[in-house]
Amino acid sequence: MNGTNLVNSLAGLLILTSLLVIETRRPSRAALLYAVQSSVLVTIFVVLAYLTHSTQLYLWAASSFVTKVVLVPVILFGALRKFDTMVPLPSLMRVAVVVALAAVLVMGCSLIVAPLKLPAAAEFRPALTVSLAHFFLGITCIVTQRNIIKQIFGYCLMENGSHLTLALLANQAPELVEIGISTDAIFAVVIFTVLVRRIQHKLHSLDSDQLMTLKG
Amino acid sequence: MSLIVVLLLTLLTTSLAAFATRWLGLWTQRAVETVHLSGITIALVITGAIIGRVLQHETLFAVGRWLFVDALGAIFLGLVVVVGFLAGVYSVGYIRYDLIKGEITPTVLSTYYGFFSLFMFAMCCAVLSNNLVMMWVSIEATTLSSVFLVGIYGRRTSLEAAWKYIVICTVGVALGLYGTVLVFANANAVMARPGDAILWTEVMGHAKSLDPATISMAFVFVLVGFGTKVGLFPMHTWLPDAHSEAPSPASALLSAALLNCALLVIIRHAAIVSQTVGPEFPRRLLMIFGALSVGVATLFIAVERDVKRLLAYSSVENMGLITLGFGLGGPIGVAAALLHAINHSLAKTMLFCGSGNIVVKYGTRDLRVVKGMLRLAPLSGVMLLVGFLAMGGIPPFNVFVSEFLTVTAGVKAGYAWLMVVCLIFLTIVLASFVRVISGSILGPAPAGVARGDPSALTLAPLAVLLGLMLLIGLHVPGPVVQLISDATATVLATPAAMAASKGP
Repeated sequence: MNGTNLVNSLAGLLILTSLLVIETRRPSRAALLYAVQSSVLVTIFVVLAYLTHSTQLYLWAASSFVTKVVLVPVILFGALRKFDTMVPLPSLMRVAVVVALAAVLVMGCSLIVAPLKLPAAAEFRPALTVSLAHFFLGITCIVTQRNIIKQIFGYCLMENGSHLTLALLANQAPELVEIGISTDAIFAVVIFTVLVRRIQHKLHSLDSDQLMTLKG
Repeated sequence: MSLIVVLLLTLLTTSLAAFATRWLGLWTQRAVETVHLSGITIALVITGAIIGRVLQHETLFAVGRWLFVDALGAIFLGLVVVVGFLAGVYSVGYIRYDLIKGEITPTVLSTYYGFFSLFMFAMCCAVLSNNLVMMWVSIEATTLSSVFLVGIYGRRTSLEAAWKYIVICTVGVALGLYGTVLVFANANAVMARPGDAILWTEVMGHAKSLDPATISMAFVFVLVGFGTKVGLFPMHTWLPDAHSEAPSPASALLSAALLNCALLVIIRHAAIVSQTVGPEFPRRLLMIFGALSVGVATLFIAVERDVKRLLAYSSVENMGLITLGFGLGGPIGVAAALLHAINHSLAKTMLFCGSGNIVVKYGTRDLRVVKGMLRLAPLSGVMLLVGFLAMGGIPPFNVFVSEFLTVTAGVKAGYAWLMVVCLIFLTIVLASFVRVISGSILGPAPAGVARGDPSALTLAPLAVLLGLMLLIGLHVPGPVVQLISDATATVLATPAAMAASKGP
């Protein structure tokens, strides 16, 4: 298997790991699986860095390891572990439907990516398609899960998808740009977890159906 | 050190100092108010100096051209800081009542003012950014820094609004990142240096050589993504909840400053795509989203009975009108949109702060309960009465001028039928505001509510805003005209504007 195929296959593995994150019931286990997924992402960064001889991407891989494999999972694990014992809330979709939807998303995203002229990512077009599909899978998780903790994981998956797109298309951007995006993501996760704890304290529930008093 | 950097450092320092006052015990309230008022006053003075330089046809750059202010940026920077200053002064008066009523504790007071300045810092970063990705980072930071302002009261409804706000806006703005990355990737392929391909001023210079299909796709992502933050239909659902649950001065900041910041990002991307594929494509999209927002928001305004939700829908309507103005395009359309952005911000700050006085007096936002404001709190009542009429587009106030200009631009662009429909919607909005005036501001005062206006600190900002609205309505000041004229040239990418925006 050459490097290009490896990147495209690893990108496919991202979809698989995100399905596991979405369907896992215990928040602490979902945090661990998210760390596993982020490890796949970091591996993609390293392979991409090797293939494109990009020092920048090695730096991205290092900073993503710190933030996505260590920091964010630790924050999520620490903050959400205490909700492990809560009765799981049903998803609006069955597992099979989510898997089928993931396949549809990949096909749909390939249509979006097809007309784009992006010489930087010409050989990584499948990976680019998967990164976009992964992003939409994150949104699907947010929309279909009643448990607001799962919505946080949806955000994390979405963020991993956009980070892969960034690595494929914008790996020559200054390192500070990547740091800015990662910092936003960490703060977002912290704020999400603080809000979840406050909502649980006030409503004694993590059900998003309980958050329907306002009319939007 | 550049004035831009000094401004950002001032706001960041103010924020950190405000957070730190929570450890001062009994001194917390006095210390945090002093820090807050000093910070926003210094920020106002520095912004005045920056705009003064821009008025001399200068484009200011800082931090390796990652930050810049042109005439377009100066208008939006001015809005953020002026609205921030006036809502900031109002905050001091308003939040004291919350403290007295026990709605918040002194520790929460520090948190409120800390996030207030942090939010202003993030918004200033967004309007000052020349780096396309940092523009996105800043807009995302505006969400993160304002979530706790929305949920500060910790009630069930405010937590719900905060949750919806962060979820919907992070998802929406993440879509915007895709648009941004596509623009960078495409620019990087045609430009010599990656460091340049990330700068808006440089990408604008090479926009004609970008790939039309990629840039068109990028603009769709940008419009839907950042349009969520602007509050355009159908991505607006977070807005009425967040605006109504936040403390009134924070609502003013959200409505009159934040929405404009996201709109500026869209306008900067629209300027690029106009160069690459021609102006028709972005104009059509902006017109569709703008007109739909005006129409749908009007229907909600007509039936809403919560004063802050009503004002929030009015924000959707007005952001729609501004977007429509940019969509109509041409010098008159763009100028009308920019002027309406200024006018809406002043009027909406005034009305949201005024609605704060309603909450202080009646303890509710329900217009079916609020009666006889004019008799109960005469100064607040008069200002709210005039403010609602002005927001409804009655001359001689500012909103009338920009609405008239927008309609003129529409007729001139060959969309007379659309302008007739818009005028019908604007009439419905005015009628809804008149209903608020007759039902809640005029009429007999209810028994059991103490008479008298809230403190001077909650009245002075309203008076200043009303004065500014009248001033612009009677005669748009020369410096504002010049900024709008120069900014219009930037949006339309005239050769002179392109040459002026070149960095060192």
